[in-house]
Amino acid sequence: MLASCEFEIQPKLDTPEELMVVDAFLTDQLGRQEVKITRSQPYFESSKPELITGLSVTLEDLTADVSYALIEGSDSYYLDVSEPIGFVGHEYRLVVETPDETFEAIAKMNRVPGIDSVGYEFNEANFLVDQDHFTAQFYSIDPEGTGDCYWIKAWKNGNYFGKPEELNMAYDASVSPGQPIDGQLFVFPVRAGFINPYTSDDPEISESQPPYVVGDSLYVEIHSIDRAANDFLYALYFQINRMGGFGEIFSSPLSNVSTNIMSTDPGSKTNVAGFFNMSAVSASGRRLTSTVAEQAKTKYYE
Amino acid sequence: MKLNRLLAIMGLVCLLHSNPIYAQDQFTVSGYLRDSSNGEALIGATIRITGESIGTVTNVYGFYSITLSKGNYVLDYRYVGYDAFTQSVELNSNTRLDIELKPSEQQLEAVVISGKAADDNISNIEMSTAELDIKSIQKMPAFAGEVDVIKSIQLLPGVTTVGEGAAGFNVRGGSVGQNLVLLDEAPVYQSSHLMGFFSVFNPDAVKDVKLYKGGVPAQYGGRVSSILDIRMKEGNSKSYDVSGGIGTVFSRLAIEGPIKKDKASFIVAARRSYADVIAKVFTDALSDGTAMYFYDLTAKTNYHINENNRIYLSGYWGRDVLEFDENQGFDWGNRTASFRWNHLYSDKLFSNLTMFYSNYDYGFKFGDKDDLFQIGSEVSTVNMKPEFNWFLNTNNELTFGGEAIMYLFEPGTMINKSVGETTNSSLESRRALEAAIYASNNQKVTEQLSLQYGLRLSYFNYLGGTVFEYGDTIPGNTKPIVDEYQYKKWGSIADFYNLEPRLSFNYKMSTTASLKGSFTRMNQYIHLISNTTASTPIDVWQPSTNNIDPQAADQVALGYFKNLSSNEFELSAEAYYKWMHDQVDYIDGADVFVNQYLESQLLSGKGRAYGLELYGKKNQGRLTGWMSYTLGWTELKVDGINYGGDKVNRIGDWYPTRYDQRHNVKLAAFYELNDKVSFSANFSYISGTPTTFPTDRLNVAGYVVPYINNNERNNYRIPDYHRLDLGMSINNVWRGKKGRSGEDNIAISVYNAYGRQNPFSIYFSQERGRIPVGSPVETNATQLSIIGSVIPAIAYNFKF
Repeated sequence: MLASCEFEIQPKLDTPEELMVVDAFLTDQLGRQEVKITRSQPYFESSKPELITGLSVTLEDLTADVSYALIEGSDSYYLDVSEPIGFVGHEYRLVVETPDETFEAIAKMNRVPGIDSVGYEFNEANFLVDQDHFTAQFYSIDPEGTGDCYWIKAWKNGNYFGKPEELNMAYDASVSPGQPIDGQLFVFPVRAGFINPYTSDDPEISESQPPYVVGDSLYVEIHSIDRAANDFLYALYFQINRMGGFGEIFSSPLSNVSTNIMSTDPGSKTNVAGFFNMSAVSASGRRLTSTVAEQAKTKYYE
Repeated sequence: MKLNRLLAIMGLVCLLHSNPIYAQDQFTVSGYLRDSSNGEALIGATIRITGESIGTVTNVYGFYSITLSKGNYVLDYRYVGYDAFTQSVELNSNTRLDIELKPSEQQLEAVVISGKAADDNISNIEMSTAELDIKSIQKMPAFAGEVDVIKSIQLLPGVTTVGEGAAGFNVRGGSVGQNLVLLDEAPVYQSSHLMGFFSVFNPDAVKDVKLYKGGVPAQYGGRVSSILDIRMKEGNSKSYDVSGGIGTVFSRLAIEGPIKKDKASFIVAARRSYADVIAKVFTDALSDGTAMYFYDLTAKTNYHINENNRIYLSGYWGRDVLEFDENQGFDWGNRTASFRWNHLYSDKLFSNLTMFYSNYDYGFKFGDKDDLFQIGSEVSTVNMKPEFNWFLNTNNELTFGGEAIMYLFEPGTMINKSVGETTNSSLESRRALEAAIYASNNQKVTEQLSLQYGLRLSYFNYLGGTVFEYGDTIPGNTKPIVDEYQYKKWGSIADFYNLEPRLSFNYKMSTTASLKGSFTRMNQYIHLISNTTASTPIDVWQPSTNNIDPQAADQVALGYFKNLSSNEFELSAEAYYKWMHDQVDYIDGADVFVNQYLESQLLSGKGRAYGLELYGKKNQGRLTGWMSYTLGWTELKVDGINYGGDKVNRIGDWYPTRYDQRHNVKLAAFYELNDKVSFSANFSYISGTPTTFPTDRLNVAGYVVPYINNNERNNYRIPDYHRLDLGMSINNVWRGKKGRSGEDNIAISVYNAYGRQNPFSIYFSQERGRIPVGSPVETNATQLSIIGSVIPAIAYNFKF
């Protein structure tokens, strides 16, 4: 009777700025490391943005005093890394030269804890799912000492948890800097809150689904990020995570997320967006085999 | 400061000038005015001396006092909706006259809108106030058929809300947290059930509601926007009454009656929701079978010790519970308790001492038996408030007193259980003391001119604990912490003093017209931290500290009041301008939930609000009601927000607040067809609220992120809001017939009668669903209506 209702509209928007966007979340991993430099698009444009070509992009390890020139590819500037270039504790600079101006950003690669394990739990039917089901968690301990920031990425059966509401971050063992939990197992919302999809990927199915069934796998990566990147992603979370429905009451005002990409000319009026960060990565995964499932059930009934 | 001093001196001069003339034989006639049917005190009833232009009104406890020269007088007691009463007095000594007025039989001719004298709006010094008695509130068609105090005041000029489901209300461009909501003088920190759909006040226990939008007397303070003063019934001191109702959302029951006839009485009123009806609001977020309910219990008792002493004890307990299972859920609620002691030191000096406790808390829990994450927040206050009314003479009524409030804030409790092991990581509690002393005089200077002038000295002390010191940064970024240290427990970390002058005048141009004006300065020492589209139950209260200055507001208002056809019609026009300082705003991505460094993410700015309120009311006849139109602006200027291209300094430009609603039209009409059937209707038209539309989208970190060219805030408006509600009441359906005692009625209401999908917000998001990495992503704009259909409701109410 009181259901809220929503419908899509096509309002006319102000003129877009179409500014340069630098998407540079690099890691210490081997293989291809990519920096995407594109232009922002009019808000309702849904095509993939094209790479801005003809730029000079350089990654500098300020601590080791080494620099790497990135190669222009079809949709990114990249490095094919065969020997490690990212080291915990090192400071890095990304330099982007356009014909008119030079932009740079600084990031520090911070430590990352290992993942002890990925585990599954057996649950009887509850208010979320009306049948017995398995849920997953990962176990990892934040090292002692405050100020560690992490971005936790995960994949179920190889599909990335990339929905806005699945952006999972930790500050020390908890969620944000103002919540002082340090040097212990990540809090439950971080361990389990974002990797148990109860909604089906099929839009036709509205009932809650068991997050994991026998045969599914989960792979988790913890990326260390620096404080500036943490603040950036935290603000980004509020901008992209629009629950809709009654949840809109809890949404915060729309505003621009920060950037650490700066012109080398302090008087520059050019706006750029995007972020540069260097992450150390730890990873672990496990498949919910029938053996794992039986063990979880046994543990539950103990 | 110069202005303050000037006003203080002026006040003193006026007082001295008007010293009572002791030379003559002066005697006082005083007493209480009550309802003869149930003993309830009559607030704001008039007492006039026949043949002379002398009179007074009863205070909130029904007390009056007039001092006159020796002689014979006829006193005329009046209260709208009651038979007038006259009493001859031969005044040769101080005389106590407690009077009981009889409710009028002629219901159809009665003014339904408010009590008071028929020309109260002309003669009273007060302006920028709005009063509703519970009888008129009960007549309005209500959302889901539930009579609601807060929803009713939203029909008054200058009062708005950002939409259905939003908690609280906005007054003259102020935010929700700038309203002080008092229930029998105890502040209620969160006035809503079920987010903002219903208010926490049980109409069966409410007697009188008064809203001060401006011209606030000196005895009130602590918030910069408004004071909503709700008074509870005392309980029938003559006979037992049981009243209640069965509605679509609540079922209600109230019992009142004498403990000892005319000496002591009580009222207990309770409500509880039928959860499943409303749970459907949450269809998107929650599954079926969600346990969800809310309830409140209101109780009051009073004891008439003797002629000079009366005590009252009242309490409120309410809670909203939304539980998924024993380890997951959300709940919140208020608790208040007030003790009051009315004492007459003499016929001329009335005093009231109030002591109260008020608490608000909420909590979330998430997890299972081994892994649980619980967070919450709480604010508690203990308050003592002595107040004196000194009825000096017929021309002066002095009010003075003080207030001391002790605050305890629990900004964030956090209990974390991981693999069976529990750690408590709650943030440190914070303590503060607020105090005030004030004096105010109502002075009748001439037949035409009356003044109310007062001064309030307020004080706030933020007490010991951990002190955080932050450095400067570009506005809009998190401020860096530069020092963190312990301060002794009861030591003063930061304190503030402020003088708050209050001044009102009423120039009576004729018996049917007056010109009124006021200046009000208010300070606010505690802040409601809310960075969401609408105020919600998880907003936390935060004291002023070494990092947050108290808010301040100066308001001037000027009004013209005119009555026509023997007070059948009341018209008024008021213009106001409000300057606000040290308004709280937030950096982008501020974490206002549980955050010990919250202050590093707060911004401070100034605000301004101005507008014009036009109001017309028809008081008598079968058709009564009012129309109002408010033209208003409300804007903020905060560095770090809406700063355009100024990347370096980020000096903010003025931007409209979320509750800036240019045009606001309200209509309330009541029609009494006959003794049995009456109709009512409300209509609201409100300009769309401002919101921010993006211009661009960025691809970064694997997400599509909105971007706003030129860093604008609130650059667009959502479509206008308008809604019609209709109501019908059929009296005495079962009771009152065939010799059955008591009365009852069936109230039928239709909310949103023409089923408009009023927009609550327009939001921008990427398409829903899982998009494979690297695929193009669509972005959409969605218009949301919280209530998108006609909502009919039926309720049965009874009293016997």
